[in-house]
Amino acid sequence: MSAFLTYLLNGLAVGCAIALIAGGLVVIHRVTGVVNFAQGTFAVVAGLCVSSLLGLGLPHGVSEVAAVLVAALAGLLTGLAAVGRRGTTPLSSLIVTLGVGVLAYAVEIVLWGDQPRSAPGLAGAVTLAGARIQTQHLLVIGVTAAVFALLALFFGRTYLGKALTACASNPYAARVVGIDTRLMGLLAFALGGLLGGIAGVLVTPLRPISFDTDVTLIVNAFAAAVFGALTRPVVTLAGALLLGVAETMAAGYGYGSHQLEVALGLMIVVMIVQAGRRPAISQEQT
Amino acid sequence: MIGRVAGALVAVVTLALPAVLADSALAVYILLGLAAMVTVGVSLLMGYAGQVSLGQGAFYAIGAYTAALLALHGVPPVIGLVAAPVAAAGFALVIGVPLLRLRGHHLAFATLAMQLILLSLAGQLEFTGGDIGLQAIPQFSAGSFEAGSALAYAYLTWAGLALVMLVTRNVIRSRPGRALRALATSETAAASSGIPVGRYKLVVFALSAAFAGLAGGIYCFYTGYVAPGSFPVLISIQYIVMAVVGGLGTIWGAVAGAAAITLLVQGLNSLAALPGMPSYAPGVLSYAVYALVLVLVVLFLPRGLLPAVTGRLRRDRPPVETR
Repeated sequence: MSAFLTYLLNGLAVGCAIALIAGGLVVIHRVTGVVNFAQGTFAVVAGLCVSSLLGLGLPHGVSEVAAVLVAALAGLLTGLAAVGRRGTTPLSSLIVTLGVGVLAYAVEIVLWGDQPRSAPGLAGAVTLAGARIQTQHLLVIGVTAAVFALLALFFGRTYLGKALTACASNPYAARVVGIDTRLMGLLAFALGGLLGGIAGVLVTPLRPISFDTDVTLIVNAFAAAVFGALTRPVVTLAGALLLGVAETMAAGYGYGSHQLEVALGLMIVVMIVQAGRRPAISQEQT
Repeated sequence: MIGRVAGALVAVVTLALPAVLADSALAVYILLGLAAMVTVGVSLLMGYAGQVSLGQGAFYAIGAYTAALLALHGVPPVIGLVAAPVAAAGFALVIGVPLLRLRGHHLAFATLAMQLILLSLAGQLEFTGGDIGLQAIPQFSAGSFEAGSALAYAYLTWAGLALVMLVTRNVIRSRPGRALRALATSETAAASSGIPVGRYKLVVFALSAAFAGLAGGIYCFYTGYVAPGSFPVLISIQYIVMAVVGGLGTIWGAVAGAAAITLLVQGLNSLAALPGMPSYAPGVLSYAVYALVLVLVVLFLPRGLLPAVTGRLRRDRPPVETR
C-alpha cells in the first residue's frame, strides 16, 4: 500500500511537469492556432540553464527564476520566427517551430555539451502515511497547482488575459475591436516559454536532462493536450496527471520498458476517437 | 521541351558520374540517391495529399529490417529488395486506415509517435537484434551477379531513384493525381465532386512508404548492418527539410532538395573534421544547417527552391508580343 502511495505521488509529480509543458502548448494553440513543436525545448533550456547557474554558485531561487526567464525569452524568439511574419499558415508555423527545436539542439550542444546534466533540488524526503516521498516531488505538485490557479485568474480576471482569449475565440472580431493579434500571439509564445521553463526547472533535479530530452517531453505533453483537444486547460491537466500516474505505475510494477509505447498508443487512440466525432469541414481552413 | 532535355541531361551526367568518383564520394552519391527516393515520397504526400508525416524514417527502417531479416534467413537478396517496399507499403496501409482520419498537426504527431514506438520495439525484440541490431547482412546479388563494390550500389540506387521518379510522374499526371491535388486544397470540396478522399489518401501514404521502404532495402545491403540507432527521429525531419527546400509537390524539386541538403551537410562535415575543430562540431553544424535552412525556406521561399528559381528564369525571358 505504501509503495502504491509512493508511485501515485511520484506519478502525480511527473504528470504535473507534463501538465506545465502541455499548458504552454494549449495557451499557444488557443491564441495562434499553432502547435508549438519547440515546447519541450523550453523546458530543456531552463533545465540546462539552472544546472549551469547553480554550478556557478548562484543561490537557489535566483538561478531558478533566471532560468525560467531565459526560457520565456526563448519562447518569445520562437514566436517571432513562427508567427512574427504575416501570412504564415499554422502548418508552416509548425514546421518553423520544428526547425527552431532542431536549431536549439545546436545551441545547447555548443553551450552545454551532449551529456545529460542534473541540478540539486530540494533535498530530503517526508514520510506520508507510511510512504516516503521526496520533497522535490511535493514541490513540483505545489508549484503546478499554484501556476494553474494563477493562469485561471490571469485568463479570467485581467484585461490582457481576456484579450488573449478573444484572439483565441475569434481573431477577426478581436482585430476589429482593436486587439493586436500578432502581439498577442507573441505574448502567448512567451507565456508558453515561461510554463515550459517552470517545468524544466522543476524536473531537472528529478531526472537528468540532455539536449534531446525534448522529444519525450513534447510527445508526452502533446498526448496530454490532446485529451483537452488542445484548447481546454483543465482537461489537459487531468490528462497529464493520468498519463504521469499511468507511466509511473507501469514503471513501478515492472512494465517500465513499455511505458513509452503505452503513452503514445493511448495518445493515438484518443486522437482518432476525437477525430471521428468532428466533421471534416470544421477542421479545414477557410 | 526544355524540361525534358534537362532531365535527359541530368540522367546522363548522373549515370556517368559514379565511374569517375572516388569511393568516399560514391558513399555520398548513394546516400544522396537514397535520401532523394524517400524525399520524392514525402513531397508527394505533403504536396499532393496535403499531409505531413514525421514518421517517414519508420518506413525506411521497416524496409531495411525486412530486407535484412530475409537476407539473413537465406532468402535471395532480390526477393528481399522487392519485399522491402511491399512490407513498408503493407504496414502503411494497415496503420493508415486509423491514422489518416487525423490531419494537420495531429497526423504529424501520430506518425512521429509511430516511429518512436517502432524504434522502441526494434530495440527490445529478440528477432530484430535489440539495440545492437542486425549485422553481417550478405551483399546484394542477383543470379550470378554480386554487388561487391560501391559502384554497383551507386547504379542500384540510380535505378531505384529512376523507378521512383517515373512512378511518381505517372501518378501525378493521371486522373487520380488531379484528384489528389483537389483534395489537398479542400477535402470537403473534393469529396463532394465524387473523389474517394479516404482511399486516395491511403494509397499515396502507402506509395510514399513503399519509396522509403525501397530506399531502406538498398541501404541495408549497402551498409551491411541495421540498428535502431540508424533511424533516429531526426532522419524523418531531414526528409521534411529536403522536401520543403526543394519545393513540395515537385519531383525534381525533391531530388534537388535532397542533393542540396546532402551536399551542404557533407561539405560542413568535412569542414568540421578539420584539425582544431571541437569534437561536437559535425553534429552542431548539421543540426544548425537543417534548422536554419528549414526556417528560412518556409518563411521566405514557401514554394521551395526549385520552383522559385525556375519562376525567376521564366520571368527574365523577354516578353512575347501578343497583339
